[in-house]
Amino acid sequence: MSQSNSHSQSTAVCYHCGLPAAGSSSCNGKVAGSSHVFCCSGCLAVCQVIHDSGLNKFYAKLHSQENTLSPPPDLPTDVDQYDLEEVQQGFVRNLANGNNEANLMVEGIHCAACVWLIEKALDGLAGVALAEVNLAHHRLRLQWNPALVSLSEIICRLGLLGYAAVPFDQDNAEGYVRRVNRRLLFRTGFAGFGAMNIMWISIALYAGSFSGIEFEYKQFFHWVGFAIATPVLFYSGAPFLSSAWRGLMQRHMTMDLPIAIGASVTYVFSFWRTLQGSGEVYFDTVVTFIFIILIGRYLEAVAKRNASSATLRLMELQPRFATRLTNAGQERVAVRKLLAGDRVFIRPGDKMPADGNVLSGESHVDESMLSGEFLPLHKVLGSHVSAGTVNGEGVLTVEVEQVGVGTALSRIINLVEVAQGSKARVQRLTDRIVPYFVTATLAMAMLTFMYWVGQDFDTALMAATAVLIITCPCALGLSTPMSVVVATGAAAQQGVLIRNCDALETLSNIDHVVFDKTGTLTEGRMRVSSIFLSMDSVSEDDLLRYAGALERNFSHPLANAIVKEVERRGFVFAKVEGLQSFSGLGVGGSIGGTQIWVGNSRLMMQQGIALSDEAEAFQKRAESEMGIPVMLSIDGHMAGILCLEDKLRQGASELLDTLRKRGIGLTLLTGDSKLAAESLRRQLGEIRVVAQLLPEEKSREIIALQASGWRVLMIGDGVNDAPALAQADVSIAMGSGTDVSLECSDVVLMGSELRKVLYAIEIGRQALRTIRQNLMLSLAYNVILVPVAMAAWITPIFAAIAMPLSSLLVVGNAVLIRYRMRKFLLRK
Amino acid sequence: MDVIYGLIPGMIILGLVSVLVFFWAVKNGQYDDLEGPAHRILNDDDVEDEGK
Repeated sequence: MSQSNSHSQSTAVCYHCGLPAAGSSSCNGKVAGSSHVFCCSGCLAVCQVIHDSGLNKFYAKLHSQENTLSPPPDLPTDVDQYDLEEVQQGFVRNLANGNNEANLMVEGIHCAACVWLIEKALDGLAGVALAEVNLAHHRLRLQWNPALVSLSEIICRLGLLGYAAVPFDQDNAEGYVRRVNRRLLFRTGFAGFGAMNIMWISIALYAGSFSGIEFEYKQFFHWVGFAIATPVLFYSGAPFLSSAWRGLMQRHMTMDLPIAIGASVTYVFSFWRTLQGSGEVYFDTVVTFIFIILIGRYLEAVAKRNASSATLRLMELQPRFATRLTNAGQERVAVRKLLAGDRVFIRPGDKMPADGNVLSGESHVDESMLSGEFLPLHKVLGSHVSAGTVNGEGVLTVEVEQVGVGTALSRIINLVEVAQGSKARVQRLTDRIVPYFVTATLAMAMLTFMYWVGQDFDTALMAATAVLIITCPCALGLSTPMSVVVATGAAAQQGVLIRNCDALETLSNIDHVVFDKTGTLTEGRMRVSSIFLSMDSVSEDDLLRYAGALERNFSHPLANAIVKEVERRGFVFAKVEGLQSFSGLGVGGSIGGTQIWVGNSRLMMQQGIALSDEAEAFQKRAESEMGIPVMLSIDGHMAGILCLEDKLRQGASELLDTLRKRGIGLTLLTGDSKLAAESLRRQLGEIRVVAQLLPEEKSREIIALQASGWRVLMIGDGVNDAPALAQADVSIAMGSGTDVSLECSDVVLMGSELRKVLYAIEIGRQALRTIRQNLMLSLAYNVILVPVAMAAWITPIFAAIAMPLSSLLVVGNAVLIRYRMRKFLLRK
Repeated sequence: MDVIYGLIPGMIILGLVSVLVFFWAVKNGQYDDLEGPAHRILNDDDVEDEGK
């Protein structure tokens, strides 16, 4: 199998994923004797694994469905943690036959061909007893023999095939929702059975009232109707009855109250008629009414469950393991294995695994998720840190004080749930209206009854019931949550997680987009491209060794690139003392007694280190070519410059073009020098560029934009974007970003495709439009039909049909968001 | 017409049976994945390609 770079095929599509294979990352590969084009080496590797496992038919199946995959995710790291018994306790069940069972969330499952590929590939793995893919929820149910194969091997196997799998605890996470949904489905099913049977009874009675029916049979049909309606009302209708009763006890008018009153009054009246043996009965109204409302409730619950499975993915962001310091060195352990008194090592951007006190180091820690205070707190020796808070720029050693559910961690998960359950402003308005609405309904029903009772008791009761049923504010109450749930669900399937429902509303009317440069518009994967030396005694390797030793303690993209390069060359990291970090400038420390500084020119200036003319020339040249020069000084003397480069992300220019066409203002914020920013601007076209910014200045830029009347969307990914993300009206974080930025943003993009930004904006527009339409629909419905019902022109049966129809109309309109978004995707 | 005294309870019992079957199906997870099985049935690999 050979592999060679090719730049010529601009129209070719990747054999594996079907995306255009162009640019420097595309390559040719020989698989199964014939040559194919791939968009990246990742796709080639996955294709080779698939072929080597004899699963080539995957591609035939894939193409038969006219589908494209997404390029495979990076190979999983740290999977061996899932073999630790302490970690497994959370999600693995031990079966009676000695096998283990677990559920995995699998990213990348796309169509039936993926189902086939995963199941076939895992069946071929010794020790896997069962692998069953749930296509709808992107889950894999797995049973395996732990003696033959480990879970990490299975996850790695999936990784090789191009799927990222994460274990999750289904029973804990959604067992409750599932049980509730299941009970609702039972109730709906039973009501359906009742509705279908009682319809025959009704037909017999209608036929009888036209062609004559003997009293004996009529009475029999009435009793049969009673026999069917009773269990339907008290079993299927129980949620309405109990919720209305609870509401009454707490003197709170719920939407279920008119439903409950309408259903039970009609039921009691029909029962009384049956006992009397005269007049018509309305058991069929009760049953059909309950059945149709239950269908609406079930659809709503299902949509909600789909939305909440996106929350699960967010929960995976919580730390599962920590770096523990022992006498022998560092070791990675499961968080639940930590004991009070352990020392743990915290890197910048890490989350605290437990509550504890700082033993050494200093840093700023963001505790906003606990206190709501956004400004990070300065932590020094002896300061208290809480589990789940996010470390800023420094490195800390923390002595663990408290672990487990008692810590702030559980409160954080709660917070995520609250953020998910947060309601749009429109919906809060609806919630305030509902009690008045219900009161007004009851009053109008009473009024109607009083007015008609003088003429005829039957008409009075029927008219009042019709009012009760027809004004049911279901459509009003459903209009917003249905749209929000459908929109967030559809977005989650596209890898756009909307964490805050207000965001939908704000997204729809932003008029200025602010981009962070590194990791957002560019790939955020820096490479060391060239090295400049200014000291004879220091070689390239030495320079990298020093820089790597310092930078491996930080999670900045520049730091990662240097560490990667050092690892590539196979060097061992030296021990560093007195680590220091200046946000936006660089880092420092001493290695074996020599003071090293690594950072930009401003850090060098601050430290009073002079640049030679050649060094300055190298710096200028690097910056004009979009490179970032990282300078290194040894004991106060300039030792050399590492030049790092970063590519523009695919689709960056298209995104900017589209936004520009819509008249949306664009701003690019970057901490890089003006020269580098200028070179980027030449590539991107018309965009305001603000360069050489410190993190806190980024948020000040946003405040300035907001002050001049713009509604600002901020898109970023790094620790240094966090304040700006929080400051913006609405913010989007790229999924590859650090935990801090994900924590501060309203929307998270799981992938790194920039065009998903347009998708997010579009779904906000669609959701808001649908909410407005729905509110108008339900108001119009009530305004028209209530007077008609009060005039006794319609029967409760008509009301029972019209009311759910209005709800279904609202639900259907909301579901259309999915369709409109699919059309939007196709148009692209 | 006396036959309806037998037929209607019979109808309801038959209906109840189907409700019980429905409950059983829900409990067995038949409704958990409504997309996958429809495709899975088309993936019959028992027949080998002649070329292999």
